[in-house]
Amino acid sequence: MARVRILGPQDRLDEVLDALQDLEVLHIAEPPRLEAAGAEEAPEVAPRDATEAVEALRRRIETLGWVLSHLPEGGSGLRRGRGRERGRVDDVGDVAVRLRRLLVRLEEREDALERDRARTARMRDLLAAFEGLEAIRRRSGRARPYFLVFEADDRRELERLQEGLASLLGDGFELVAGPSGQAERAAVLLVPDGRAAEVEELLAGAGIEELPLAQDRAATAEGSPEARLSWIARRLETLRERRRRLARRYRGALERALSAAHDRLLTLEAEGRVAHSAHAFVLQGWVPEDSLPRLETTLEDRLGLTVALEVQDREAWEGETAPVVLSNPRLFRPFEAITSMVPLPTYGSIDPTPFVAVFFPMFFGVMVGDVAYGLVLAVLAAALRRGSRPRSTRRSVAEIAGACAAFTIIFGFLYGEAAGDLGRRWLGLRPILLDREEALVPFLALALALGLVQVVLGLVLGAVSAFRSHRKESVGRGLAAAMLVLVALALLAAVEVLPGRLFTPAVIALLAAFPVLIVLEGFLAPLELLSTVGNILSYARIMALGTASVMMAVVANRLAGAVGGVLVGVVFGLLFHLVNFGLALFGPTIHGLRLHYVEFFGKFFSPGGVQYRPFGHWRPEADSLPTHAADAARSSTP
Amino acid sequence: MNTFWLPLAAALAVAIPALATAWAQSRIGSSAAATLAEKPELSTTVILMIAIPETMVILGFVVALMILLQGQA
Repeated sequence: MARVRILGPQDRLDEVLDALQDLEVLHIAEPPRLEAAGAEEAPEVAPRDATEAVEALRRRIETLGWVLSHLPEGGSGLRRGRGRERGRVDDVGDVAVRLRRLLVRLEEREDALERDRARTARMRDLLAAFEGLEAIRRRSGRARPYFLVFEADDRRELERLQEGLASLLGDGFELVAGPSGQAERAAVLLVPDGRAAEVEELLAGAGIEELPLAQDRAATAEGSPEARLSWIARRLETLRERRRRLARRYRGALERALSAAHDRLLTLEAEGRVAHSAHAFVLQGWVPEDSLPRLETTLEDRLGLTVALEVQDREAWEGETAPVVLSNPRLFRPFEAITSMVPLPTYGSIDPTPFVAVFFPMFFGVMVGDVAYGLVLAVLAAALRRGSRPRSTRRSVAEIAGACAAFTIIFGFLYGEAAGDLGRRWLGLRPILLDREEALVPFLALALALGLVQVVLGLVLGAVSAFRSHRKESVGRGLAAAMLVLVALALLAAVEVLPGRLFTPAVIALLAAFPVLIVLEGFLAPLELLSTVGNILSYARIMALGTASVMMAVVANRLAGAVGGVLVGVVFGLLFHLVNFGLALFGPTIHGLRLHYVEFFGKFFSPGGVQYRPFGHWRPEADSLPTHAADAARSSTP
Repeated sequence: MNTFWLPLAAALAVAIPALATAWAQSRIGSSAAATLAEKPELSTTVILMIAIPETMVILGFVVALMILLQGQA
């Protein structure tokens, strides 16, 4: 990264910001102190006006976003509107306000129709419960029908109504209840027209629900629920067609206005980080070194010699926080998603992504280690990747899953496992590395060896990272790494995996290293070393999860053989394998991440980096860098 | 003796850390839910916090396996 200052007259600031926004390479830093730049402090430039403008723009953006999210898809795709199209944003913004009101009304109507449709469909279902409904209707003659709904399991409610009607009308009514439905029971009540008011009062008092079928009949052509449903569908289609017409007519302009409004907002925010004097402005920020010539050329071409670009020496900003962007080859790039889950590393420190890209899928493979599970995971990864956008989180997850699947298959062959022991029984697979069902101690040794390698690597990286700024600490970490290796050598010699004659020299070297470590790192260094040994022991989880995974798979196969018939056994076994596969995805992922974040990163990682965010045009995908800016930053960030 | 005490020891080696892990995770889990309601961006930290006590039961499981292997030998 290079730190630059741009100086120029006040009246060219807008042009400078336009050029920078188009170029999309400058990460604007906090405003410089003008005393240091040799200029006098100027009165603030109407901060209240800027705040009001920002607030007004935010409101516009909110309205435009709301309208766009409530318009159907289609129409024109997103075309960019520049922030400088300010008048256009205001014009379209007024249209958006009117559109919002119109869309609210349309949606209210649609909601009312949807509610009506649900109610009518329910009514139709209830009426279908009456076998003699048509006969009852015909028989009603001058009588007034009421269509009532009762809770299916509340017989008392119907009896109470009958009693109430008998005391009110004597035997001058007819109440026919249909068969009980799933949750509701329908009934038809016929009463003389002249007594309708008293009956309605009785129904309201008893809290009995009445379906307004009689009123609805007037509102529909034929009075049947089917006719009303058809009418509602036509009305809904009309309203939706109207929204589609609105989308075809306005969507393109609204999207351009939204983009322009966001651009304008970004420009206003950038203006807030510009220092002003009475006649000049100063802007400072960070540019990837590769993009520096392009920045110089663009400013010269668009603004001539009225604006000066000053590249500051590294000594001038040594110790300041330069923004960072993770910079990795294509193969490792998906794993930036894992690194990005913790705060970014500081500028100039080590990016752990390449190490994560090697160790994470390897640990996953060592834990799951099954050809069949690996193949299923590969299919899932391929499905997830299909249709995903480049650089999206989904694409990264799919590619990480693909790498994990590859390691799972490789270790499956090394363990001779496919769906547990089925690979051995059916496919003739044989363990090449070790048999996880039997060789528990070698598997534990493998897990701890992986832990030793990763923790020692972490300490070495920590030593390298601290070498420039904290020489003593760096040597201390290197010594701790060497002592861990000595501990491992002594242990292996003690159990005669290595020649026994190595034991004594290793122990002597270890004892000699202790005082040096205390001198370098203080009296707590032995405790720190002990805790590092604990970190290595924590890798035993690789063996524990791996053993649990294979045992579950073997149990699934045995259960399949032990349960009832062949079909039931196969289904049972598959279900058990499905559960084991789900656990195999979850457990190794969480514990793999934990081993990296806690045990590995803790040895060298220095968090606290600031994300490189070049000032540029707004993009609908949040947090996405402009492609060329990301590439430029990738090639220049250490 | 091996048929009673060793399996019992192995069972206890898993069961006691499992209870401890469960207790720790219950406390962390409820705090994590409250934390995520206010700060969803801390989900990574929360997942790590929940995974940390599992070390106890995992090491217990390894010890239990060692005990059983010792019994077989």
